[in-house]
Amino acid sequence: MNNSKKQLENLKEKIDHLQHNKEKKSVPERNSGTGFGFKISTEIVAALIVGVGIGLLVDNYFNTKPFGLIIFFILGAFAGFLNIYRVMRRIEKQKSFNIKH
Amino acid sequence: MSSTGEKHSPLEQFEIVPYIHIDSKGIDISFTNSSLAMTITVAVITLFLTFSVNTRSIVPSRLQLLSELSYNFIVQLLKDTVGAEGRKYFPFVFTIFMFVLIGNMVGMVPYSFTFTSHIIVTFALAAIVFIGVTVLGFVKHGLRFFSFFVIPGLPWYMLPLLIPIEVISYLSRPISLSVRLFANMLAGHTLLKVFAGFVVSLGLAGFLPLAFIVALTGLEILIAFLQAYVFAILTCLYINDALHLH
Repeated sequence: MNNSKKQLENLKEKIDHLQHNKEKKSVPERNSGTGFGFKISTEIVAALIVGVGIGLLVDNYFNTKPFGLIIFFILGAFAGFLNIYRVMRRIEKQKSFNIKH
Repeated sequence: MSSTGEKHSPLEQFEIVPYIHIDSKGIDISFTNSSLAMTITVAVITLFLTFSVNTRSIVPSRLQLLSELSYNFIVQLLKDTVGAEGRKYFPFVFTIFMFVLIGNMVGMVPYSFTFTSHIIVTFALAAIVFIGVTVLGFVKHGLRFFSFFVIPGLPWYMLPLLIPIEVISYLSRPISLSVRLFANMLAGHTLLKVFAGFVVSLGLAGFLPLAFIVALTGLEILIAFLQAYVFAILTCLYINDALHLH
């Protein structure tokens, strides 16, 4: 009886130790620089593509040759920055979540 | 890209080769190597998921553990990002995740074809997600879905400027989703083949790029998994946005 209890406690210690190690390992994230750069660049390029596309469409329909493109290109750039801001905020949230747990 | 009839271009692997020519009213719907890769992917997923859980043992075998692991992975992902009501969308997210993941993995087999390295495939997947999520938002909230584009607590004179920006940001989702997957797969596979070319041309010193390729293949498998994960998690986030608006 006593022996099995001791064994159980030993096991618990072992599991705790392993879990602790596992948590420690997961903290330094393999946040590769290229992956991060890729994420950011696709966000901004995608927003610019949409902005330019809408601008060209507007120009085609309303015959406002350069102005639709100019305005929507600028709006697209802003949207790209907004996308990046959202991605960054999500990453920050995840980081604080990881530290807390 | 292949110039002067050179048949060993690193981009040759992305060429679409039709196996069975089918022409339907002027639209080319031939069965190509891309279709074959997709068919293999679907077959692998179906066989893997049905046979691995066929025994339904309480102490799972390794294969059963693998499929239960992938199931739990997506369930946990949905729970973390969407919450309890996300369970309804599990089949959708799981299908997309498995299709992209196994598709990437099938592409890692030498001489096979990576269909996720074609923008039209990834864009079709992203468009399904985008349209599905938009329809979901309209079904759940009706016309109130448009309030998604209005940031709360903003002075009214900023709205005409910020609503177009929000709309563009929303429309850019499928593009960034598809371009990320497509560009990662394209770049990775091109890099592998470029270094494979060095092995031959360097002669004896070719073992250096060969060793590099071995490491790069491992990295490529990691990226294949990571991109499927990113695709799935972004799908979950979009579903969350459509359900909860902000």
